[in-house]
Amino acid sequence: METDEVEQGLPFQLQFDKPVPAQIKIAEWNPEKDLLAMVTEDSKILLHRFNWQRLWTISPGRCITSLCWRPDGKAIAVGLEDGTVSLHDVENGKLLRSMKSHTVAVVCLNWEEDGQLIGDSGNILAYEDRTSRFFPPAPRVPRMPGLVSGDTGFMDDSEDSFGELSNSSHQRFNILCSGDKDGSICFSIFGMFPIGKINIHEFSVSTLLMDNQVTYRLLNASICKVALSKDLCHLIVTCSGELVEESVESRDRHIFGHGLLGLHSLVLDTSIFWKRKNELHQVAQQASNIEDLTEVIRASLSVMCKQWSDAMHMFHEKFDSLSSLIIDHGLDSSPQEEFLSLLCGARTSPPLHQFLVSSLGEVGLKRVSKAVSNAGKELQFIVLDHLQPAAEIIGFRMGELRGLSRWRTRYKVIGLDERLIDNATEKAGMLLVQVERFMMILSSAVQQFSNFFSWLLKCIKLLMSETSDQLLPFNSELVIIFLRFLYDQDPVRQLLELSEVDHNIEIELETMQKIKELVQLGGFSDSEYLQRTMAKEFQQMESSFKEAFAMPFTTVSEKILCEDLLPMFPCPSSPFNVPMSISYYKDISQAVSTYQTCQHRFIDYIAFKVPDESFSDVANCIGIARGFMHDSSSVKKGYTSLEAVLLSVPDGYHCVDLSLYKESQMVLLLNETTSTSESSGSAHMLVVQVTDLPFVSVPRSTNLNYWKLHELKNFYLFEDSITYLQMENEKVRSIPHSAIAPLAVSASRGVACVFAARKRALVYILEEDEDEATDAE
Amino acid sequence: MSVLYTCKGTSELAQQVCDELGVLASSVIGVDMELKTEASLRHARTLLAANQFGQAAAVAHSLFCMCYKFNLQVENATVLLLLAEIHKKSGNAVLGLPYALASLSFCQSFNLDLLKASATLTLAELWLSLGSNHVERASILVQGALPMILGHGGLELHARAYIAEAKCYLSNPSFSVFENSEVVLDPLRQATEELEVLEYHELAAEAFYLMAMVFDKLGQLEEREEAAASFMKHIKALENPQDEQDPLFNIH
Repeated sequence: METDEVEQGLPFQLQFDKPVPAQIKIAEWNPEKDLLAMVTEDSKILLHRFNWQRLWTISPGRCITSLCWRPDGKAIAVGLEDGTVSLHDVENGKLLRSMKSHTVAVVCLNWEEDGQLIGDSGNILAYEDRTSRFFPPAPRVPRMPGLVSGDTGFMDDSEDSFGELSNSSHQRFNILCSGDKDGSICFSIFGMFPIGKINIHEFSVSTLLMDNQVTYRLLNASICKVALSKDLCHLIVTCSGELVEESVESRDRHIFGHGLLGLHSLVLDTSIFWKRKNELHQVAQQASNIEDLTEVIRASLSVMCKQWSDAMHMFHEKFDSLSSLIIDHGLDSSPQEEFLSLLCGARTSPPLHQFLVSSLGEVGLKRVSKAVSNAGKELQFIVLDHLQPAAEIIGFRMGELRGLSRWRTRYKVIGLDERLIDNATEKAGMLLVQVERFMMILSSAVQQFSNFFSWLLKCIKLLMSETSDQLLPFNSELVIIFLRFLYDQDPVRQLLELSEVDHNIEIELETMQKIKELVQLGGFSDSEYLQRTMAKEFQQMESSFKEAFAMPFTTVSEKILCEDLLPMFPCPSSPFNVPMSISYYKDISQAVSTYQTCQHRFIDYIAFKVPDESFSDVANCIGIARGFMHDSSSVKKGYTSLEAVLLSVPDGYHCVDLSLYKESQMVLLLNETTSTSESSGSAHMLVVQVTDLPFVSVPRSTNLNYWKLHELKNFYLFEDSITYLQMENEKVRSIPHSAIAPLAVSASRGVACVFAARKRALVYILEEDEDEATDAE
Repeated sequence: MSVLYTCKGTSELAQQVCDELGVLASSVIGVDMELKTEASLRHARTLLAANQFGQAAAVAHSLFCMCYKFNLQVENATVLLLLAEIHKKSGNAVLGLPYALASLSFCQSFNLDLLKASATLTLAELWLSLGSNHVERASILVQGALPMILGHGGLELHARAYIAEAKCYLSNPSFSVFENSEVVLDPLRQATEELEVLEYHELAAEAFYLMAMVFDKLGQLEEREEAAASFMKHIKALENPQDEQDPLFNIH
């Protein structure tokens, strides 16, 4: 659907102009493929191809507040209103994983990947994941019986992609940052393994002001945007809030009735992610796999518990009528005694006779027998296919982590604690023993049940005086054992179920003695473990894992520090509507000499629209700041300090949205303000080369009580040199609709999607001009 | 038991045990291979511990021929590694390198991860003994093998790896102890802890020696004296194994 306006030199080829079903509030291009993910006002996620074919739509049921792509483009992270961050598969939109890392709405997400592939740099730590060499593919979560596929939600058909998510995607180290409304920022490796959480309220920046130590702190801050630099060393955060002075000195001359309310920007030092990325990568890889497998075990246990208790319920339902029959007949005995006397060849008592012949009957018995043996088989399958392999792989992976944790010089820094991991490894081993024991108890129980049932069947046949020669043989000793230990007890369920009361399993003294002796040979130091049930053991294992993985979390969190803080502009109204874009570009000016150091290969750009109400005398402006992240520490070393420029939008236009594009370019979306006619109004999209703008260095004052932009504005007013945007000099494309935010620009794909007010979407190819395209045809 | 004796430096007794072990095996060729290889492996180890390198190498060679003949691949890798160690200990690092590499490739093709890690460690030690130009290569090797060794290896292997790691730092000309002494001291400390348990005097002495040197550089005299005293203790124990309190002497 090409428009017919083929003018000479019209930039940006219009791909199409299509209607959209609803108003779009967030739109992001896939970094690898030409796919556009959009979130509608009613919180549906739409994924469209470049030809506008829709791939899928999902609605998570809660309000979506942010969205971003995984750097490899194979998954989407979605931030929800309730603080959940969930990952969806790009192929079908299935939920892969969801993590409730925040308590309030997740307002921004940023997923950044480390540029180099682990191992390809001839790196020291080319440490492979050996699991795949020793184990078959990891087991999956067993299916809950009685559920049609599709009902089970995310743990079902998505398994293939789920497995793929936790393996192949781990080739490159990446970090997902999520910021919430309350000023918390969470970090997770691969979007799965939480590695840190900080709150910007806890940071304070102190400066020396006239020999006074003045400390500033943010109040009521709410994150607007987070952007991790490409080398993972810095995180730029913009947030709205109040900056207050926390004075140590009593003789304070700068008493502000209220702090600076508005938009601030912070630089956080996240260099731990860079310095320890190999270590973090390995730990995260093992740990996230372990977490997957514990899910498998948890699900297996619950499925097994349900199946077994269903079967046992059926058994008791049938056999409980016997005891009431006994009472009805006025006999003073228990069902077990009645069965025993039948076994011993005594005369069949009337209640038992009645029970066997009429209330249970041959058909009923066969049904119960089948149910129990099916449940037993099912349980054995689950143990063999899911539970046991999962427990084994957990043990193996924990062992690998233990090896890492002993390398203190490297792994202590990221908080991998040898003692905790040792404990976790031991717990994983105990679970394996428990699984083994469970299998033994289960198979003996199943065997005893079937023996008991075949005996009963024979009895029924005899009572009905039918032939009984084709029946299975039975063992009368086993019947006695069954009546004594299994008839009204359920050792299988006891192991599976987590009850409030800790019932200990009785272990013979001899066995206990053996376990204690095994400690000498490297057995488990906790010799009580056989007394616990399997469910209890699993619970303990989980908590030991949690404890072990909480350590890196807190250690890394502590290493993320605030480097600098910059008050940007006052903003009384809600700052979330301020168009803003943060990006990092290769610093061309000094890229060569400092290539080795991780810190200075990139330079940051923060572009934002200055709200009109911020400064009375400057209206309709766009501010761009750069070099913020180098400001505090590296100015001494001669690096670019903070520079900024104010760009005035021509009269008759106002900025709707902006986005930084590649190679230091910025895409602006301007609306005509003078559209009086009802019809459509029009908009303009233009690309500005940011590096051509006359940046001025912003003096680094020690006083933070001053809006940086104010200084800049004063400077400009003084010099009378506000840069005016010369629209005729730039690449401008007019859009025959009035545009609204968001503007979705993809730097890697070179495309832009503009949304018009009347539910239309226009996709432009930024790299191709309209006339060139027609030439080519 | 022969391991115990080897560590204690009482080579005559170890030799005797090895011979006894060898006698247990059947004299028919191709039978009781495990026992036979074990016996001659121990024999070679004992000779190595007694610093009789030529004989040790000869035993190891014949063992290798036997293993090769009977397709004992795992043992092949082990024996090759042993040969590399013999050459390492005898000071012929260059001769040791091909054996270590051959062992490494055997391990790789048979998925012998722990053996591979220890072969990697030996290789790194060989490179280290070739001088400081090879430090970088050695340190890459050591650090690649460390997680495996620490996770699954025994105490002796741990200690050797720690010492090799520390040595890598110390022989690196661009490394300065003053900037980051913990990188060296922590592995050494861990190594000595484990070697004390093993009573492996030779390595323990080496670790304490390195520790004392580092402390000396750092000017921490008290710690230096402590490490030096421990070094002394282990050297004495090494030179004079006839310790009356040793329970092993009361067995025979």
